[in-house]
Amino acid sequence: MSFNVLIVDDSNTMRAVIKKIISISGFKMDQCIEAGNGTEALEALTDNWVDVIVSDINMPEMNGFELLKNLKEDDLFKNIPVILISTESSDERMQDAFNMGAKGFIKKPFTPEAVKKILCEVIGVSNEEEDSGNNEGFDF
Amino acid sequence: MKKKIAETMRVSIFEVFEKMFYIFLEPLDDESNEYDMEAAIRFEGFLSGEMRILLSKDIAKTMIHNMLGLEKDEIITQSMEDCSKEAVNMICGNFLGKLDSTKVFNLSLPSFGMNSTSIEPGKNVYRMDFDSDEGRVGVIIDANGRV
Repeated sequence: MSFNVLIVDDSNTMRAVIKKIISISGFKMDQCIEAGNGTEALEALTDNWVDVIVSDINMPEMNGFELLKNLKEDDLFKNIPVILISTESSDERMQDAFNMGAKGFIKKPFTPEAVKKILCEVIGVSNEEEDSGNNEGFDF
Repeated sequence: MKKKIAETMRVSIFEVFEKMFYIFLEPLDDESNEYDMEAAIRFEGFLSGEMRILLSKDIAKTMIHNMLGLEKDEIITQSMEDCSKEAVNMICGNFLGKLDSTKVFNLSLPSFGMNSTSIEPGKNVYRMDFDSDEGRVGVIIDANGRV
């Protein structure tokens, strides 16, 4: 089974890095949609169905927390799992994210293993299930 | 306080460069001025101030090459800007989180310039320079507050 992922980050380079890390982690990704901030992410969702959203917090125009709030207020989007990704990972900030409805939190800097583990937990598939048939490993 | 800030900075810089960019840095005893670009970020919370990262073009290209597998002659200035901003964002967030993970802090959006500027030395200014096979890195922090 493969999944559609929406990656939200204001940096083209970081979107490419996150996409690459998800790919090499062995997580099966069908379609990868990209957005530069929360506003663009909401626009992208009007035309695309996604299984999970991976979003940075610190972005111009609409940040990750504002995106999460907008998603939770929308009947169509409120059940899409959101993983926030940030360097701002104090205990209180992470708790705020979970209280607002985030399903996962990835601290930067991250490893492919950590990204895959949280994606699998949030989507509800086991690491082993995702590992089957993947022999590529984490070869940078 | 100075010792704790310096040690935490060093650990955060090593962690980000090794984990995200696969680059192993060696501390330099003297300040270097051989930098081509800088990115800066402001922070507020239990410590407030600014952090800057100074990079040579060679190391910026290596960072992108190592993360994305792009050939160095394919790398454009925008990618170096993105990478520099992300590096200072990660080092600053990692540094503040390691100093005190129970306290919330806020980070600005990073800024970028193709020249490196100096911060006047002062009692709250800490600077570290590093060398590697791929080029040089400097990190400067000007911080006020209580640790």
